Amino acid sequence: MKASTADQTRRAGRALCSAVMLFFSTAFLLLALKDYAWQGFALAVAVPAMIWLGVSLLPHLFPADRLLLSLANFLCALGILLLYDTNPDLAYHQAMYYGVGLVAMLACIYAVRLLRQWRMAAALLIPFSLALLALPLLFGSEINGAKNWIYIGSVSFQPSEFVKLSLIVIVSRYMSRRRFFPWFIFAVGCLGLLMLQKDLGTALLYYAVTLLLYFASSGNWLLTLLGLSGGAGAAVLGYRMFAHVKKRVAIWLNPWADYDRAGYQIVQGLMAIASGGLFGVGLGLGSPTTIPIYHTDFIFAVICEQFGWIFGLCVLAMYVAIVWRGATTAMAARTGFHGLMCMGATLMLGLQTFVIIGGVLKLIPLTGVTMPFVSYGGSSLVSSMCLIGLIQGVASLNEEHLQEDARLAEYGGEIG
Amino acid sequence: MKRQRMKFKLLALLIFSLFLLLALYGGYSVITYGNRWFSSSRNPRVRAQKENVTAGNILDRNGVLLATTNEEGERIYPADETTRKAMVHLIGDSQGQVSNSVESFQTSYLYGFQTSFPEQLAALIRGDRRRGDDLTLTVCAPLCVEAQQAFDRYEHTMGKRGACVVMNWKTGELLAEISLPEFDPMAITGAVKQDEGQPFWNRATQSVYPPGSTFKVVTALAALSSIEDAEEQWIDCTEAVLDFGGGQLISDYGGEHHGVVHLREAFIHSCNKMFATLAVNAGQENMLRAAAAFGFNDNFLFRDLVVENSSFPEKADSRYTLAASGFGQSSVTATPMHMCMIAAAVANRGVMMEPRLLRSVVSPGGTGRLSYTENIYRTVMTETLASKLKDYMRQVVAEGTGRRADVSTMYICGKTGTADSTSKGEPITYGWFIGFNAQEDVPVALCVVVEDLDEGTAGGNTAAFIARDVFAWCGRNTELIIPQ
Repeated sequence: MKASTADQTRRAGRALCSAVMLFFSTAFLLLALKDYAWQGFALAVAVPAMIWLGVSLLPHLFPADRLLLSLANFLCALGILLLYDTNPDLAYHQAMYYGVGLVAMLACIYAVRLLRQWRMAAALLIPFSLALLALPLLFGSEINGAKNWIYIGSVSFQPSEFVKLSLIVIVSRYMSRRRFFPWFIFAVGCLGLLMLQKDLGTALLYYAVTLLLYFASSGNWLLTLLGLSGGAGAAVLGYRMFAHVKKRVAIWLNPWADYDRAGYQIVQGLMAIASGGLFGVGLGLGSPTTIPIYHTDFIFAVICEQFGWIFGLCVLAMYVAIVWRGATTAMAARTGFHGLMCMGATLMLGLQTFVIIGGVLKLIPLTGVTMPFVSYGGSSLVSSMCLIGLIQGVASLNEEHLQEDARLAEYGGEIG
Repeated sequence: MKRQRMKFKLLALLIFSLFLLLALYGGYSVITYGNRWFSSSRNPRVRAQKENVTAGNILDRNGVLLATTNEEGERIYPADETTRKAMVHLIGDSQGQVSNSVESFQTSYLYGFQTSFPEQLAALIRGDRRRGDDLTLTVCAPLCVEAQQAFDRYEHTMGKRGACVVMNWKTGELLAEISLPEFDPMAITGAVKQDEGQPFWNRATQSVYPPGSTFKVVTALAALSSIEDAEEQWIDCTEAVLDFGGGQLISDYGGEHHGVVHLREAFIHSCNKMFATLAVNAGQENMLRAAAAFGFNDNFLFRDLVVENSSFPEKADSRYTLAASGFGQSSVTATPMHMCMIAAAVANRGVMMEPRLLRSVVSPGGTGRLSYTENIYRTVMTETLASKLKDYMRQVVAEGTGRRADVSTMYICGKTGTADSTSKGEPITYGWFIGFNAQEDVPVALCVVVEDLDEGTAGGNTAAFIARDVFAWCGRNTELIIPQ
């Protein structure tokens, strides 16, 4: 019975993959016909090819969750498509990082499958991650009120995106061994460094994921609630201490009060969503570029303007499906560590998506985190792919264990 | 392990519910606020579309062409100058000086944002320039002209600023809406822009005034529904003032007094002292409840109109402010549009209709996109209470402060008001009349506001005159305002 479920997901994944490839080749062709730029035609071939590589070839190497792969690849390609429409240069960049992301995902999958020395890995990751996270404070530059980027030559990256991964690995390792202090001290250290960088959106994600994983591993309601109230206290403190947090909350409460300056971005985002209506103005049309930072924070508004609110809901449903696959994989995991790691990656993706889309829709104050897979940004794209890699790694181990069980059962049946 | 799995399930459900929240909240926002965000003058998409699309026509309910686009692609207002000026706040102008007018709030239809893909394709094949949809409004242009001219007929309203709103109390159709001073949309000069009377401002929907004694309709409802023997209550109004201590005095207009009065006589003669007492006896909670039933403190999200919210204080600072709110002073405010809806609700047996402005929308190809639908905004009170208030309001016009609004062939009910406020540090008085014709075949309700009354005049001898003329016009020209 279990094998047939796997069969079903495989077939669904394959059908989905073909539809996705068709969608993107026609979409890029459509955009290419606007100005006959060769890059458009190239992307019309290259993006579907990469999706095919990712979704069809990888499962030959090890048992993989095709549905999860298709969804992640679709979202990545959607990001490239929207960027190509609004700013082609960013799209080339993003396409390159998509390739890098696929490789990084593969690396993560193999790490999960092959690595046996997690204790040592976790111990080594702690100082390394803290050092990495401290770098922007020493050499970084401030963007939009937060100091969380570092530049090496012409390449820039955001360490917090990668430390996310080690946070999940470290926390789940120590939690599964019931060792409180190592992960606690590491998490507090990370939060402190993020606070110093004023990167409160990422700090919120780190905090929430750690707390929820703690809840899952210990089942201790009391301490979880204590942690929750501590977080609320920190939020109030942050509101009191940081001027830019106060400003963001004020904008959230009423962006129209100062729509030409402070509220401009959110107001323009809402107008873009309203302009799209249910079915959108169409790919390549509309004026999404009037939203400041449309390519990272406000990419969801661009989606809604061009493809409409219904499509926006579908995108939300894709993230829900990713969370569903991730949680299912975590529940089927054979060890506590693998389960926690898988759930951690799932929570990170789900919460990050909620935080940014909630900000764009004015449900919660806007924090400058990216929309996983879709937003422009190499660090974000690669780290999101790595998170998928962690889930995939656990999924492939689960599948192998299942096959093992099936073989043993068959053997046992013969004996019986 | 097993417990951990259960927790994972819980966490996944948590994330799912967060996403559900996103979907619901986003959908709610797009449906309720979508058009308001979209038609904002800050939306650059509309500007871009104006280059490519010829805007549709705007017509009044009888087919009078109010706005169109000429051969050169300019937006013009082809009606005669008087009509043009009377309608300008409702229709808007090509420069977008009047905010939330039809020209700006209905951008989505006028500039073809609702045009479907096959229609766009057809226009492309024919090689036509794209055209937006034509709008037919519920308003009646000659009635707007009449309301505007009525202001100039009387010594104490001539040249005054003010507003008038007329609606069909059965259906909620807006029949007229004017704001003074007006301007000519075909000749917007620098002088108009600098006029301190702010001619671009639509007083009918955007100005919130203290409603004064017209608010006694609300107080009467609060009293009737919360005080058991409200109708038996009386005060001796021979005392000149009602003293709340500390110099907080309540007196009647012009220092007059009404002898021993019950609720009914107090309403007819607009006795402030009685209504101050009733507000205090009913209490803040009941006053707030009655005001909220009429739509005070609600966020108005009407489909066709943008109307500033009205407010009634959530908390009374003192007994004195509660007493003052009983006759529409203290910090009670409302727009002329909302006060007209209040009169209409009494006429319509306690049911308040949503004010509507769009009668139909037709695409250039002739397909109807929308036609008029009635919609109940809220049920304010029971039919019994409504008929009681109607009787009070009839007596106001038959023998009370609103006698000058009476039209002998009609059954006019109403309430006058004279409200004090300050504007730029100077005291200012507003004259009000709200009322309706109770006859089923001419179901009109109206509200008139006159700003900055002359010394010695009140709502009853300023706004009431204008109301009478408007009612009389409606009686004479029923075929123009009621569908046959």
